[in-house]
Amino acid sequence: MNCEVCQLKELDVEHFEIREVLRCILHTILFHRALGLVRPKDIDLELFEITYVQCGDVELERKIDEKIDQFIDRVEKHPNKKNQVIIICLSFYEVKNKQATWFTNKVERLHWEQWYINLNVAQHPKGHLGKSHSSKVVVDPGDIATEARSARRGALESSLRDVLFQIIRFVNEKKDHVPPIPNLEGVSFPYEITISSSSDSAFGMDMFKRMLQTGHPTMLS
Amino acid sequence: MDLHGYPQAEHGRFEQILNQFLLKSLHIILDSRVPANRPSSRGGEIKKSDKWFNLALGDRPAAMDSLSFWNRSLMEPMIIDIILVQESPNSSSTDMFTETVVERWIVQYDSQRSLAPQIGDASYKKTYKKSIILLRSVYSTLRLLPAYKAFRKQSSSKQNCNFEINYKICSFSSPFSREEEESMKKYSFTPVDAQQGRLSVSVIYREDLSDFNLDAFVSCPLEIITDYVGSLLTDPMRAFPSTSSEKSRPTSFPIRGKQSNSSSPFQRPHSWTSGIHRDVSTQQSQPFSGSPPLYRSPSFSRLRSETAPMSIPHPMMARSPRYLSPNLSDPSRHSLPPLSPRNTKYDPSSHESSSGIRSVRRHDSLRAGELSNTPINVSQKLSRDAKEDSGRFSSLLSSSSSPRVGFSRSSSRLSFQDDFGDSDFSCPFIVDDVDPPDSQTSFLLPHSLNLDGRNSSDVSSQTSSTAKKSQDAAVGALVHMLRTAPPLRKDSSYYTSHSSKIEIEGEVGAASEFFKPRKTSDALEELKVYKEMKDILLSKSGARVAGKENTGT
Repeated sequence: MNCEVCQLKELDVEHFEIREVLRCILHTILFHRALGLVRPKDIDLELFEITYVQCGDVELERKIDEKIDQFIDRVEKHPNKKNQVIIICLSFYEVKNKQATWFTNKVERLHWEQWYINLNVAQHPKGHLGKSHSSKVVVDPGDIATEARSARRGALESSLRDVLFQIIRFVNEKKDHVPPIPNLEGVSFPYEITISSSSDSAFGMDMFKRMLQTGHPTMLS
Repeated sequence: MDLHGYPQAEHGRFEQILNQFLLKSLHIILDSRVPANRPSSRGGEIKKSDKWFNLALGDRPAAMDSLSFWNRSLMEPMIIDIILVQESPNSSSTDMFTETVVERWIVQYDSQRSLAPQIGDASYKKTYKKSIILLRSVYSTLRLLPAYKAFRKQSSSKQNCNFEINYKICSFSSPFSREEEESMKKYSFTPVDAQQGRLSVSVIYREDLSDFNLDAFVSCPLEIITDYVGSLLTDPMRAFPSTSSEKSRPTSFPIRGKQSNSSSPFQRPHSWTSGIHRDVSTQQSQPFSGSPPLYRSPSFSRLRSETAPMSIPHPMMARSPRYLSPNLSDPSRHSLPPLSPRNTKYDPSSHESSSGIRSVRRHDSLRAGELSNTPINVSQKLSRDAKEDSGRFSSLLSSSSSPRVGFSRSSSRLSFQDDFGDSDFSCPFIVDDVDPPDSQTSFLLPHSLNLDGRNSSDVSSQTSSTAKKSQDAAVGALVHMLRTAPPLRKDSSYYTSHSSKIEIEGEVGAASEFFKPRKTSDALEELKVYKEMKDILLSKSGARVAGKENTGT
């Protein structure tokens, strides 16, 4: 089984927009991949005029919010000085029980799909004049700042919409690699969410490891 | 469908999937475009028939109940047009509407005989799995297209909409004109391979709806009726009950200082208002806005009238719109909501509608006995309804000029009878090794396809008795309110309607509220109408209840 990868369009977001944007994207992906019985729930974003769909699974919501909190923590601890893109990887896998050997009793995860959400989080102004393009310079007359802000907001909304369409298109185009649906409600396939930055040294390692897991055994040689 | 070379069971299963796919996609599209006026049954057990494609949507929209699909062949495409209806700008009082197709959904099974047949039980399971994904993406896309905004606006503020959303389903459609096509975009979902063919869904939609000025706020001088009682034509009014009816708790109607305390409003026993009154009493401290219109639509989480100064809630006895409209000297196109004489059901919790075809229109809202202040002159609308609604969809097929009017007699029929009694039905295809459902019983059309008829008769008897009881109480409440109503004043009043029975879906829960100041002239008009109604009521009930003149100007 091959692993399909989808790189979502990069989004420039402000700190306070992270939560909504991530919720929207993650839930949209999961809605299309939670192929068990769901009761779809429509959620309106507050910051944008977009409505997305959730699975209606409370447990899922909780997990996603947890992940988002982690993400926000991380972003706050490591301010984005160099305009790094932070990547959230939502990966679906199948669990294959390996034969228990003397040394390992590992359960192998075969990733069959990966989504990369690329966020460029704007520098936190922190109240002083910053050189970052996103900081709201105090000296600016209010009107110009507001206009710029709403223009930026409008652009983000349009990009977010594009991302959602991107997800829908991908989900439609690639269907063959989806494993058979187990008899579960809601989220039918196990998934994991990992956060990394493009500059992470560990990031490359993660990618490599994942490639090993998903690739054909002969790839290792 | 060509059956050669296929095991019967396999083919039967596939037909079942196709049948259900068409129904489900129609359900999704209608739910997302046509404002429904029934309480959504989100809570509770999911019906087996709703489990198809692992997407539980709740009860089917009333519109689907009335569609006559019996003669539709599964092989024909299902074309759903979403139409925006607006009053023509050049007409003021005449009944001229412009209809624009803002979206056209085409769901069809393309039979391709050249496709190599896949024999084996994997094929229909794969088809099923892929169609689950397809339907999910259709669901999401419906929320991202421009028309969704219009739908939300309609759902949340019927009263202030200068447009209406309508729909049309047929198996073929006239192509768009060149200029229409230029303003429209097409999106095709990747088709799902199926036995000897493909299931495909595509949509042609208008990208830019700004021409329609959907956000325009429309003034509504006439406020509606707080407590709808019932149609006079269907349920002749009974004698007024004593005012101390069995209702226990007073509703808090316009609370205005000391006066409110003295009044003891009623709690109406209507099944659909029971929740409303329970809640309203908690709103004691809130100001009211005008005479609160009572929206029975489940999409309303609040009742607010946009126009302020009328603080008298004016329960309206049902009337024929033709009776009302001549009395309205209001040149505006708004009229008091007509209570369609065709409405026999007042219980929005009854999902099957006996009004059948009528449910096609947005006037579904009236079906459940609710009052919505429609932006279009309702009496005119109703006459339109009479012309057009009768078998709107079944006759729609025949109204076209094409000879291919979907009454083909092939053995595959789109069937609504998918319940087969919940006990028989097992949701197949979820697990790979699941036993195939009994295809013999499942896809062949049963004799009694009238899912509607079976259920509606149960419900109608129940609701009519409720309605009768409610009416008496309602009339009593009405009279009481008339007697004790405080004078008009400019305060905005606020009236919350939140039936506990009516579960508000998330997407429409965030209803936007509009307040609009009213002019005195508007209030005067309304007062006139109320006076007339009151007089009629009183005269009918005899001299038992002496109405007090409603003072205040």
